[in-house]
Amino acid sequence: MKKNAVLLILILVLTIQLLNVYGVQRFPKPEFESGYVQPDTLQPDTRAELLAIMDIVVLTVALAVISWLVLKKRSRIGVFCTSVLSLVYFGFYREGCVCSIGAIQNITLAMFDENYVIPLTVIAFFVIPLIFTLFFGRTFCAGVCPFGAIQDLVSYKPQKLGTRLNAVLGLIPYLYLGLSILYAATGTDFIICRYDPFVGIFRFDASFGMFLFAGILLVSGIFIARPYCRFLCPYGVLLNFISRFSWRHMTITPAACIKCRLCEDSCPYDAIDMPVPGKNPEDRAITLRKLILICLLVPFFVLLGGYSTSRLHETLAGVNGKVHLAKSLLEPTTNNGQPETFEITAFKSSGKPVSQVFSEASAVIRQFYIGSWILGCFIGLVFGIILARQLIIAYQADYTPNKGTCFSCMRCVDYCPVTPEEVKS
Amino acid sequence: MTNQASSASTRKLLQNIAIASAIFAVILCVLIIVNFIQLKRADPLNSKVLTTLVERLHANQDDESLRQEIRELDLLARKAFFTNQWQVRMGGYLLFVSLLVIVICVKATDLMQKTLPDVPSADRRDFWHLRKINRLWVIYTGLFIVILSLLIVLLTHRELGKNLELAARGSSEKEPAAGTDLNTRTTPGTMPKGIAADSLKADSAGTQAPGNVLAGINPDGYPSLQEINGNFTSFRGPGGTGIAYQKNIPTSWDGKSGKNVRWKTEIPLPGYNSPIIWKDRVFLTGASETRREVYCIDLNSGKILWRKTVEKIPGSPAQEPKVISETGFSAPTMTTDGRRVYAIFANGDLIALDLEGNEIWTKNLGIPLNHYGHSSSLIMYRDLLIIQYDQRGSGSVMALAGKTGEVVWKTNRSVKISWASPVIIHTGKRTELILAADPMVASYNPADGKELWRINCIEGEVGPSVAYADGVVYAVNDFSKLSAIEIGDTPKLLWEDTDYLSDIPSPLATAKYLFVVTSYGALACYDAKTGTKYWEQELGTPTFASPVLAEGKVYLMDKKGVMHIFMADQKYTVVSESPLGEGSSCTPAFAEGKIIIRGNKHLFCIGK
Repeated sequence: MKKNAVLLILILVLTIQLLNVYGVQRFPKPEFESGYVQPDTLQPDTRAELLAIMDIVVLTVALAVISWLVLKKRSRIGVFCTSVLSLVYFGFYREGCVCSIGAIQNITLAMFDENYVIPLTVIAFFVIPLIFTLFFGRTFCAGVCPFGAIQDLVSYKPQKLGTRLNAVLGLIPYLYLGLSILYAATGTDFIICRYDPFVGIFRFDASFGMFLFAGILLVSGIFIARPYCRFLCPYGVLLNFISRFSWRHMTITPAACIKCRLCEDSCPYDAIDMPVPGKNPEDRAITLRKLILICLLVPFFVLLGGYSTSRLHETLAGVNGKVHLAKSLLEPTTNNGQPETFEITAFKSSGKPVSQVFSEASAVIRQFYIGSWILGCFIGLVFGIILARQLIIAYQADYTPNKGTCFSCMRCVDYCPVTPEEVKS
Repeated sequence: MTNQASSASTRKLLQNIAIASAIFAVILCVLIIVNFIQLKRADPLNSKVLTTLVERLHANQDDESLRQEIRELDLLARKAFFTNQWQVRMGGYLLFVSLLVIVICVKATDLMQKTLPDVPSADRRDFWHLRKINRLWVIYTGLFIVILSLLIVLLTHRELGKNLELAARGSSEKEPAAGTDLNTRTTPGTMPKGIAADSLKADSAGTQAPGNVLAGINPDGYPSLQEINGNFTSFRGPGGTGIAYQKNIPTSWDGKSGKNVRWKTEIPLPGYNSPIIWKDRVFLTGASETRREVYCIDLNSGKILWRKTVEKIPGSPAQEPKVISETGFSAPTMTTDGRRVYAIFANGDLIALDLEGNEIWTKNLGIPLNHYGHSSSLIMYRDLLIIQYDQRGSGSVMALAGKTGEVVWKTNRSVKISWASPVIIHTGKRTELILAADPMVASYNPADGKELWRINCIEGEVGPSVAYADGVVYAVNDFSKLSAIEIGDTPKLLWEDTDYLSDIPSPLATAKYLFVVTSYGALACYDAKTGTKYWEQELGTPTFASPVLAEGKVYLMDKKGVMHIFMADQKYTVVSESPLGEGSSCTPAFAEGKIIIRGNKHLFCIGK
């Protein structure tokens, strides 16, 4: 009976795989005599609908399991095993796409381009981890995200970076998020996907540059835990924000903290909030003055950020295909003496009026002008808030995980001498 | 105890496996990178050997053994290419497996060797101090980002948006077909901001511009041959043949003492282009790496009537091309049809202005792919502006409507880069446009651009323009030869010579004589029909300017600024040698009773 059941499951799994046949590109890509090389696609082959639904189910189940492992079982081993399975499924089997990180761009494009039809899977991959985070903290990062999993796997001797570097490098994800939204909103590019370091590894087809990038991240990941998650991931910005309001979050100790300090250096992500000394705090008057100053400075940062980034709008727009073509048409000799580009050749054969290209490019540049003002204001606001946060101190007596930056990896739990069994007894 | 020993030996084993895997992974990484570089460099279908063999096969298509050899080579190259690809991919898989082994071993070792956590020492840095440092670092980072953004803006800002809007407006007015005439901006009746605003009336105080030179002139028309010959409309005069039809030309002057120097005006920007003259106005250009200007100077007073900065032309490249100092950024001489003046610069910027300095149209032809810098001058045929644009990989000659800048015709030429200028000749039967560039001297119908004839007789980096007289075209170039070509539908070589070859100055021909000047200052006179050398002279000074014939005398300016005037005769008879007082590399222009000479800094008017 048991043997038959296994056989049945095996047949079922293999049959499901056949569905992929319907989804793949059935015609080979054309080859061009001109030497034109097809650009690398950012997405893997089309996936059958049933398999796409299965992906959503697997994601939900994985999130449920890991949340249970984190909050109920408090198991580091369980989290580790789930992350390996997620790496295999979402990473190597699903080839890292659709991923929640890249979904930011699809969601943005769908908001700005009415002609863009966003797939259900993408919405699900974007929303479901956010919902789980709202309830249980960043359990998605703990062991469901394949990017986090692969970095967690190589993390061998993680070193603490210190608060200064953490504060400075921690600003990069905000910039990256802002830029990716700007480029997606203007229909320019999905930069998160284009510069995705791990997807090339998952697909075994990394370009040399991306291979190098991934290599640097993974090698540095041996000593700096999860560099991508901490200092690049734009989705992490959203998770960080939402997790601060999470209904339940993992704790280092299952009961009251005994302040043994054993966990103090256990977090490789510097995500443990230490007890804040209540005695001899910074002079209240000084703090107040600084706070007022920050309140005044935040609008200044917002305007300064907006202004300086808006000046960059033409440079930022240069990546846009329409702008690039128009620029090539305006400045045909920038091709380093080479014959005209493929874009110009293609344009010439299209019969499209030049004025249309110029007008469209000009409209894109205007969009970038507005977009870069918004982006700059956002970055300025982030700076302002981070500065303000450095001033507002919530006094605490225990060692607690920082709800925003903690990945719920459960490493610290192993260091706590207080066990659930002892609590029960 | 036994368990502990067994655990220790397992740990040791796992560590060794991890180390071995790590070494293997490093070696693999190096091999993959090397392979990848090889793969990037390899272009199996365009290898040199293969290309040479294919070319040889084109020449001898019946060579079966060669054909077979090509096939085998091609197969070999493809095999090598795909094997490389396979190696990179297989290397990737092996690398992945080795990394996986390392990870498993390391994690397993970790699990087997649990260590107790350390309690950090109590003397952590002051909490408030850390906060303060964090704040400072965040502020510094913010400032760094702002400065970096502004720096990038400073380095990359090019008013792209405005240029595109302008271009969109301009091209929608003309709506050219995709791929043609992309950069034209016509501004009928209006003056665009960038250029019009800069239309300065230099030195206008107390200076009245001469009467409206456009009065009574039909802007749609073109000057008669008589009118053209009465002026000095292009490089080396009407038609570019080096013959001036003006009278009472002075033969003696001294720039230092001011003898016979009517005026001397400093030209703001340098240039090797020669002046042109229409009625009482002299036109020339000047340019530096960052600025391009057109000047109009009153022939009688030497006052700059207007100067126009040429900028913000759609399609104008952000970076100037690299040029050598002997060419500069404004080597091509302007031209005029009496309605408008036309100027071209080293970056391909082309502008048409009316005689009052108002912009009519602008265009960028694309940076000329030319390692010395573009120098081919402009010339008019009726109302067509003729441009010789023989650049690397794309030789062409084109005619633009003088009024609008639209391309009327364009003929592609299979030639190498040329620095020579077009010449228009009137044979009596027809008018021909003659161009010289390696490998040929070719003639075109200037009305439609159709090739009339060609003859392969010139090689190398052609600098001198052709000379013409009495049915014979003379072409010369250094390291090549001097050829006299009797023109016609089937041109033939009358004679050739290799003694005096020029690389910059153009030859000058009359019905009887041909004068050849070399850039190192040698001068020779040939019988125009037979090639017999009548005389040869050493000027002793390098000479870049081309000789011009006026009133039976040849005017030849050397680089030191001394004008050598000699009779156009079978014997070398010096008329005079008149110093300008400063060096010159430009060909002089002639007006009634006057010579206009561009020195290295000043424009001189010589006249009695």
